[in-house]
Order: sequence, then C-alpha cells, then structure tokens
Amino acid sequence: MLKPSFSDLLKSSFRSILKNKSRTILTSLGIIIGVTSVILLTSIGNGLKKYVTDQFDALGANSIFISPGKIFNDNGGFSQSSMATAMTTSFTQKDFNLLKRKLKNSIVMPVNATYADVKSNQAIKKAIEIDGSIEEYGSSNNVVPSNGNGRWFTNEENDKKTPVVVLGYTIAETLFPKSSAIGKKVIIKGKSLKVVGVVDKKGASMGGPSVDDAVYAPFSIVANLAGKEDINTFVIKAPSKDTIESTKKEITKVMLDKYDKDAFSVFDSSQLLNSINSIINVLTIGLTGIAAISLVVGGIGIMNIMLVSVTERTREIGLRKAIGAYPRAILIQFLIEAVILSCIGGATGVLLGYLGTLAIKPFFPAQVTISSVILAFGVSSLVGIIFGVAPARKASKLSPIEALRYE
Amino acid sequence: MIKSSSQNNFKVVLELKNVTKTYTTGGTQFNALDKVNLKIYQGEFVSITGPSGSGKSTLMHIVGLLDNPTSGEVLLEGRDVSQLKEHQLAQIRNITLGFVFQQFNLLAKTSSLENVLLPLLYSDVPKKNRPKIGIDLLTKVGLKEKLTNTPAQLSGGQQQRVAIARALVNNPKIILADEPTGNLDSKSGDEVMKFFHQLNEQEGRTIVFVTHDMDLAKQANRTIIIKDGKISEERHA
Repeated sequence: MLKPSFSDLLKSSFRSILKNKSRTILTSLGIIIGVTSVILLTSIGNGLKKYVTDQFDALGANSIFISPGKIFNDNGGFSQSSMATAMTTSFTQKDFNLLKRKLKNSIVMPVNATYADVKSNQAIKKAIEIDGSIEEYGSSNNVVPSNGNGRWFTNEENDKKTPVVVLGYTIAETLFPKSSAIGKKVIIKGKSLKVVGVVDKKGASMGGPSVDDAVYAPFSIVANLAGKEDINTFVIKAPSKDTIESTKKEITKVMLDKYDKDAFSVFDSSQLLNSINSIINVLTIGLTGIAAISLVVGGIGIMNIMLVSVTERTREIGLRKAIGAYPRAILIQFLIEAVILSCIGGATGVLLGYLGTLAIKPFFPAQVTISSVILAFGVSSLVGIIFGVAPARKASKLSPIEALRYE
Repeated sequence: MIKSSSQNNFKVVLELKNVTKTYTTGGTQFNALDKVNLKIYQGEFVSITGPSGSGKSTLMHIVGLLDNPTSGEVLLEGRDVSQLKEHQLAQIRNITLGFVFQQFNLLAKTSSLENVLLPLLYSDVPKKNRPKIGIDLLTKVGLKEKLTNTPAQLSGGQQQRVAIARALVNNPKIILADEPTGNLDSKSGDEVMKFFHQLNEQEGRTIVFVTHDMDLAKQANRTIIIKDGKISEERHA
C-alpha cells in the first residue's frame, strides 16, 4: 500500500506549491504559453478548414472545373508547373460550344475573371475581381439576388453585350453607402455599367476574395473589359453527385481530342478542398510543432525550479526520511509536485487558449477542438513527469544524515 | 537520580556489537567508530557525550538507524538490522524511533498539529485516529492553545516542544535527542530537560541523549563518554 496515501501526497504537494505562489506562476509560465499557443493554433487551423469547407459548399455542389494547366500533381497536391501553363493556355468559344453539345445533361458555364477598380459617383473600390459568366452561373452558384435586391443578368444581355453588373454585398455597401445600388451606374475601366442586382450577404471574409467582394457581369462584358475573348475556366454543373466522376471522364475525353493532357485540369470541388485542407493541415501541424517547443522549454523551467526546490528543502527531505519516509515516498512527492506545476500551467493554458479563440472569433474563423485540449493537457502533464523525474530522484537519493546536516 | 524500574529487568532494546564505521577521505581511511560495544536497556536515560570529532554523531546515526555500520552488528530487540536496505530502515525508524534535533526541524508555514502528525503520514495509523493523537500530545507538552500556529509564531522552547510531541507521535521505543537544548536559552533548555526526565520517569520511555555538554550529560542515569571512536568511559549516576 502506498504510504502516505495519495490524497495526503496531493495535499502536501499542493501546500508546498502554494507556499511559493509567485514562483509557481513563473514556473508554469512556460507551460502556459506553450499550451495556449498550441490550443490557439490548432483552433485557427480547424476553423480555417471549416471555413474553406463552407466556402466550397457555398460554391455549389456537383461543380466540376476545367482549368488550363496541370493543377494537381500525381499525389493530389498542387502541381508546381501549374502557374506557367495556366498563364499561357486558355480555352475558346469553340470549346464552349463543343462541351455544351457533348454534355447534354450538364450545365456548362464559361467563366472569365479580371481585376479592375470599380467606381461610383460616391466611392471607389480598388482591384476588385470581376467575374464574367452566363445566366446559369447565378442559380448554380447561389448568387442570384433575393427579392427586393434586383435580379441576375440574362443570356440575352450577354448576347447583346448589354452593360449590366451584379454587385457583391460589401461592394454595394461601399460604393453606395446611403441608398440602394440598384439602377445606379458604376464605372469600370472607363466604361459605364448599370447595377441590376446586389447579391445577398454571404458572411465574413478572411481577406481572400469572397462572394461579398466580387462583381459579376455577363461574359461578353467581362471579355470586353479584359480585352480578350478567351475563356479562363469552365464550370460544369453535373446533374447529380453520383454523376460527377462519369461527367469528369466525359469532359476529359472531349478535351483530350484538342489539348495535351498536361494543358488542362478537370477537377471537382472536393479535390480542390482536399488539397487546400492538406496544406492547412501541414501548416497547422508545423506551427503547432513550433508552439510545442515552448512546452519543452517550459518543462526545463519546471525541472530547474524543482532542482532548486530540492536543494532548498534538503533539511525537510532529511527530516522526512529520518521519521520514516522511504525513498519512493519522497520520489513520488516531488514527482507529484512537478506534475501539479505543469498541470496548473496546462489548465491555465487551455483556459487562455479558449478565451483567446473566443476573442479572435469575430475576426477569424477559429474553433477549439476537444482533441487539441486533451493533447495539450496530456503533453503538458507528460512534460511534468519527464522533467520531474530527475529532481525527484535527486531528492529521494539524499541521505538523511547529509540532509539533516545541511545548512 | 532514580533508576527506572525497567532497567532492572535488563531488557536490552538496542545493542551494538563490535560496530565499526570507516570513512575514506582522500584515500586515507579513518575509523569514526572503532569496535564499539553498547547496550541500551529499556526505560533507560542514557547520555552520549564527548568532544567534537570524537564520533558521537556517528554513534548517534548508527543508534538512530540513519546509517549502516561498516562492520559489526546492530541488534534492535535482538534482530540484526545492520544490513537492512534504506526503505526497510525507514520503516523501522518510523515505528521504533522518535527524533528530537538541535535545529527542531519543523516544517515551515505548517501548523504545530500537522508537524506533530508528520511521521504518521508514513505509518499505518488510520487517518481518522491521527488528529486526536496529535492534539493529545500537544496538550501534554503544554501547547494546546497553539495547534494551528506555525513554527514562526512560536518561541524556540515552544518549537522544541512541538518537535518532542512529534517524536512521541508513533509511541516509539527509543527517543533520540541530538543536542536538544543547543539552540535554546538556559530557561527553555531546562524546561526541555525536565520534560525528558518526566517522560523517562513517569512513562518509562527510553531516552538516548547526545550532547557535548558534560553538565547536561550528567543528568542521565548513565553517561557514555566517547573519544576517538571508542567508548572511553561509562558513568552511572
């Protein structure tokens, strides 16, 4: 049987830790910082993943993309040569007609994007993404304005090159802060366009382009603005989730008739999502690993203080031994003290990490996960055990005579 | 001085047979104790004295089972304990011995009661019985009103009385006191000595008392004078 009992050991360990409150806080600080940053970084990583997933869901399910260049490498990651090929290749109106003919059950949409300043008579937004496509794009990407916010553009307007635009929510708010944007004019690259609709608010942006920050116009208008008729991307809406793979095969077959296999990529949003998530994972693990270094540093801090504590309490150890403490009782006592120190740090760190996550939530998607809490807390108590062993062994090996003689 | 009755029964509590303790420093060997033979009888009040460096501390450590002899036997109630492992000795110390030190060695920022109960942490005494034992002992040493006081709030004499209560908490066979009055003024010192006498005479406790002060040593029933690691003289009061 363990003597003293575990509860007695716990009590006396807590007491000796509380005797030195400021030292306890300073000692735990390393662990606190380590655990806080581990929790925060994993929260940010997880939030980011959720955000990206949500964005892809919003992008529309069953969507297949055709892009110039080889975007994915054979391992599912992004290909390094993609940028170079993407710059030099683009698709044509002929490809569009061909795809439309071959894929009768799917909706084929050409998409072109250009970046330009957007002006109203009241304000200016610089370097805005202007997406050009056809009427079907609105419904298949959930960007058709709801009642009262105007309308999406039509294919007739595309064919007739009618200068109309649909504004993202934030753009409309900025350019027309005082009144409704609908019916007003905006100037893009010196051309005047009529606002026919405003897309509903889609949610917070992370700094990257989002629906709220985009401007949509008929394909022919954007082609005119960009000064080229070429098509950057095709978005193809498959009839259902089950037909995504077969549709992709069909598309590839059609495209291979005309293009080299490295000149284009056919992918769906899940593929893109997986690639982005794998990047976020690597980033999260890397950053968390760096944060975990401070856990080790914290552990060394605990070891240092425990060694000091053993020296300071040499007489106490000698006395305890003289009155009947066997070496293991002393070992366990000091080990428990080290573990308590690191657990105090761990618990405080978890709390601070949680509060920190709450604090950044309004600006950045972040989510505390149970697994990160368990991991951080587990690692910190493990650190306490590992770095507590050396001082505890030192204490348990002190001879009662030497210890009592120690001044 | 009254001889305690039990000494007449000649019951030996602790016996040293040919005990030698050798220290090696810088390659030279030095016998701190040299073939010491000593019997301590139950109920006896023994003092061990001698000049510094004579080996009396080493003798006290062997008697207190804090150290193993290099050779020879240490018999506790007839059982040889000289070669036992550290954890076994710790257990025997916990059950059999009570220590009183010159420096009191009370835990700082810890109440008198908890200091007294400290040895019981390492014993089999049920937890619920412990507080009463401690309170009774502190009452006995006249510190009933100071149960919750920490050592810093007590005078030297009071601290030593807490330490004596602690030494008694496991109802030990032998009380070992190492210069118990060394850090006290003469009045408190006298009180502590009086208390040891009381414990010896009224309760028949065996007391081994180490001091360099010949006058104090003479207060015991038997005085063992040690010199150069050997018992040079034994005096009976």
